[in-house]
Amino acid sequence: MSFFDSLVVYGQSLMEVVSDPVHVLILFGSVLLGIIFGALPGLTSTLGVALLTAVTYSMDAPTAMVCLLSIYVGGTYGGSYSSILINIPGTAASAATALDGYPLALKGQAGRTIGLSTSASAVGTIISMLFLVTVSPIILHFALQFTSFEFFLLAFFGILISGTLTTPDLVIKGWISGFLGLFLAMVGRDRLQFFPRFTFGFPDLDGGIEVVPVLIGAFGIPQIIQVLKDRVEVGEMQKLQRIIPEFGTIVRNIPKIIRSALIGVGVGVVPGIGEDIAAWVSYGAAKNTSKNPENFGKGEITAVLSTEVANNACVGGAIIPLLNLGIPGSPPAAMLLGALMLHGVNPGPMITFEHPKFIIECAAILLLASMAMWVVGMTLAKQVVKVLRIPAPLFMPIVGLLCIIGSYSLGLDITNLYLMIPVGIICYFLTEMGYPIAPLVIGVILGPMADENLRRALMVSQGTFWPVFTRPVSLSLVLIIIWLVLVQVPAVKTFKNRMVDRIFSALRKKSKSTPNRPEA
Amino acid sequence: MLDKEKLRKADVFSGAAFFLFGLWVVSQAFRMPMRDSWGGVMNVWYVSPALMPLFIGGVMMLLGAMLCRIGLKTVGFEIFKGTLRWLASPDLLRVLKSDVSVRFYAIAVLFLTLVFVNLPRVDFFLCAVLFLSVFITMFYFLNDSLLQKFLRFYLAGEAVFIVFFAFGLHSPTDETPSYAADVLALAFIIAYLVYVWMKTRSQAELRKKFRIGLIVALTTPFVIGPIFKYFLMVPLPKEGLVVAALDYVWYLEFL
Repeated sequence: MSFFDSLVVYGQSLMEVVSDPVHVLILFGSVLLGIIFGALPGLTSTLGVALLTAVTYSMDAPTAMVCLLSIYVGGTYGGSYSSILINIPGTAASAATALDGYPLALKGQAGRTIGLSTSASAVGTIISMLFLVTVSPIILHFALQFTSFEFFLLAFFGILISGTLTTPDLVIKGWISGFLGLFLAMVGRDRLQFFPRFTFGFPDLDGGIEVVPVLIGAFGIPQIIQVLKDRVEVGEMQKLQRIIPEFGTIVRNIPKIIRSALIGVGVGVVPGIGEDIAAWVSYGAAKNTSKNPENFGKGEITAVLSTEVANNACVGGAIIPLLNLGIPGSPPAAMLLGALMLHGVNPGPMITFEHPKFIIECAAILLLASMAMWVVGMTLAKQVVKVLRIPAPLFMPIVGLLCIIGSYSLGLDITNLYLMIPVGIICYFLTEMGYPIAPLVIGVILGPMADENLRRALMVSQGTFWPVFTRPVSLSLVLIIIWLVLVQVPAVKTFKNRMVDRIFSALRKKSKSTPNRPEA
Repeated sequence: MLDKEKLRKADVFSGAAFFLFGLWVVSQAFRMPMRDSWGGVMNVWYVSPALMPLFIGGVMMLLGAMLCRIGLKTVGFEIFKGTLRWLASPDLLRVLKSDVSVRFYAIAVLFLTLVFVNLPRVDFFLCAVLFLSVFITMFYFLNDSLLQKFLRFYLAGEAVFIVFFAFGLHSPTDETPSYAADVLALAFIIAYLVYVWMKTRSQAELRKKFRIGLIVALTTPFVIGPIFKYFLMVPLPKEGLVVAALDYVWYLEFL
């Protein structure tokens, strides 16, 4: 598709949504629902996407994407409300926002901060949307040359990197979680020979484990248990004054915004790691490059700007590998993948042939979702924050019921629930013991891709791994995987840190020893 | 998440568990066709369905063993022996009976009984009202002693359900659909709510919370249920007494 054709499709997609009142209603409704999900501690945009997947089952794919992308965008932004007003992050993505957002609210600037967070989130989403349309053709061009070895290694890399970066404790736990997800993906009849694996004679398991109910169980049930068991209480909420859009601050900080957006998109592109890492990396970068780093943590407005731009830019970034390679860039994107498969859209390099306009349509929806989010944030923030006063014991049971009926409605099979609840309880124990859930989810989703492609690749190569070393992309992926594993070995980690220190100190010495040029 | 020291102790057990799990996966993988013919196809190792399970099992064993080793190295054998002694002591029972543990049991029991006992056999709306009313009343009052009393009452009621379903008393015996299970569920809901009312009526704060909880528990299923049934056209898991009444109204069968 040429650039002009893409623009035409983009414009048509925008008009299709804007000209249909039902689509506009779905757009604003989903954004509002996403903001509420993001604002309430204990609920996440991943869970919101999961629950809405059940509701969108009867819709066509473009309408479902309006719904799901809107709740994703709204949910990522909504977490800033509780971060700023009550110092409890609504989602992990807004944890970094609380560091400076809450002190600003304590100074009586809650309205200004929420206004800035709204505008920054919208800008971040729009910038990531631009990356989605510009980078996708490049990735697709390379991805169409990928063979089965590359896809297997990409899936394996996705699981490993997700385990490495999302683990709150030891990296080994992240990898175990990923391999547990891979195991769950092996349940059922294998796709090449139809041999039943780990079905224990139950015909219901022949088709494998349904992805979306497992994801709902893995994300929803542990959250419900944790919030109610630990009696998470909302503290006193700061007063919210008039919401100010803060366009002036946005314009004055364009270089910081671009940097934060690049970080957000870059982190989003890496499989499985998500918006929270993007926000923290952006916060760290903003602090390190600030003229007044001592102000960070005490109410620095540019800190809020950096985190909110980055976490929303991660949305578009996560969709890039999702649509082009079929590898989700974040947990909500993993839910989106499940939803897309339900609607008969198989993300991957073939998407431009099977659904040529799909990526452009998603970009148009992202633009509209960011605008809807801005409008809802500016006009309804004062009303939406009232939901923060709803006690958790009232809304968490309702969320539990929604998880149950939502999972059941996908496939109308009660076996989904029989699997969902034990998976949810096991995931709760895993979370308590410091095992991250994101790699498990990535493993469940990428497992079939890894299995099929490995065996197909070996069939073509007659059992030899030699092509891995002769193809540049495969070789690069193998080297990155080996590096990822080796760098966790203590001796290698110490050696690496020593080398990095030596290089930096040598650079510092060189810059100090260079004589100043005399003035003319 | 647990604190660091408890985490490392737990890692020894979880590492060992994953090692054994990996061993099991490998043993199951060896039962899969690796060289023989399956479905008319001659297998070789790289086409075998056992390939990925072997890989996963092997890596799980390695990672489980490494985690176990890290845990033991960090904690030390002496402290770990102390942990084993503690697990065999009455202190473990004290932890298992603690308020935090009971809250976990309550949530797990609610979900498990809803999915495995109630949903396949009782009208969805009644299941939802029962689930929400029990769940909300257990946690909204922020009182662990009340939570335990409500949990015991609920377990007793579920025991009656299990016996009722085990004897097949819920199955219809002739052409007319039997709503015996639904009537029993309705009786259970009323009995539970009366029990909660009796336990909370002496305190104004709890009475107010009971009213709010009751409103939420009664109205939510009648918002969610019709959305799924009549707008999204999703047949509910079990459609009994309440769904029949709603259908009668929705489709204007009285006209």
